[in-house]
Amino acid sequence: MNDQDLKSLWQSTQVKMDQHGQIAKENQLAIRQLQISHFLHTMKPLKIFTLLLGILWVGIGGKVVLNIFIHAFDQANLFFLFSALIQIALTAIAISVYIYQLILIYRIDISEPVLATQKKVARLRSSTLWVTKILFLQLPVWTTFYWNESMFDTSNLFLWCIQGMITTIFTVAAVWLFINIRFVNRDKFWFRWIFNGNEWDPILRAMELLHQINQYEESTEA
Amino acid sequence: MDIKTRNRHFQNLMQHHQGILYRVALAYCSDDEDRKDLMQEMKLQVWEALPRYKEQAQISTWLYRVALNTALNFYRENKTKAKKKQLFQEDSLRVPFDDSPNREAMLQQLEQFIQELDPLDKALMVLYLEDKSQKEIADILGLSISNISTKVNRIKSRMKKRFTQFNPDPHE
Repeated sequence: MNDQDLKSLWQSTQVKMDQHGQIAKENQLAIRQLQISHFLHTMKPLKIFTLLLGILWVGIGGKVVLNIFIHAFDQANLFFLFSALIQIALTAIAISVYIYQLILIYRIDISEPVLATQKKVARLRSSTLWVTKILFLQLPVWTTFYWNESMFDTSNLFLWCIQGMITTIFTVAAVWLFINIRFVNRDKFWFRWIFNGNEWDPILRAMELLHQINQYEESTEA
Repeated sequence: MDIKTRNRHFQNLMQHHQGILYRVALAYCSDDEDRKDLMQEMKLQVWEALPRYKEQAQISTWLYRVALNTALNFYRENKTKAKKKQLFQEDSLRVPFDDSPNREAMLQQLEQFIQELDPLDKALMVLYLEDKSQKEIADILGLSISNISTKVNRIKSRMKKRFTQFNPDPHE
């Protein structure tokens, strides 16, 4: 079977709908139904819930922390205050990056050339990893917010050693993850373990696709 | 573009070019249900992109871009339900070839070959099988003609190898 045979074989595939003339029935109502089903299909309740919870957390938490800064800074526990400030600031940055990415993805013109469009979408989609990286940076402050000045006066050396070790481990882990969560490490055990689950599939696939697009362009340029 | 004109353009487009959407869906989904979902998604994207269509562009080029971009998004977002199903199964959407069971078998082989390609090669393969010129393929994908030529030759030789392997010439 030669190329021409294969081409005619491929082009001869038809849809039953064509023969039954159902295309003529495509009308505004059908399109509305498509839009609704598409909306329901893409709307992930858990994701939206998490996002709303994050916004609420940043809104309320931010207001509380700011109030303490402005009205009660002298009486406040500075460890709590600065830990909370860092945590809220990082969450706010992560949410902003995420929403900004969603807006950019939504605004991409799907009728542009395929490689350029896919490169844009895949780059944006895979940069969702930045959100995770930023959120991991919060790790150390979860080990410091409960510190207070009296701990320095009363606590013994042993407890401080344990506390110091925990904070150091969390800090090292946060920085290490921030540096190492990258596409090149996608096959490593720890990466697969962290990004295990259906929620991460699109991001991993986006990274894979981006890699393929780059290879595609490079191999043909060579 | 008012809603009536948009509806009319859409219906007209589907009347004449729905085969393009179907064949792109065929390349990206091995499962019938997935294919239907992808077809719906492509139709919706065509409908939504219609107001941005510029008359100077060839309609088929525009449609291939929308269809392939939607298929690649569909692949990336991992919306397929067929992960655990067999790669090939009875296809209720496609019209069977009454006259030649061999052609049906050949088509299955061709589909299988396309399914095994990576997502970008699939796009190229579809356009090649649709008999698009290298210039049109370059326009749709956004690569230079020389790049397309290299890639097409590579895929052609893979295809030739595959089909010789499946259907060895009895005279050889």
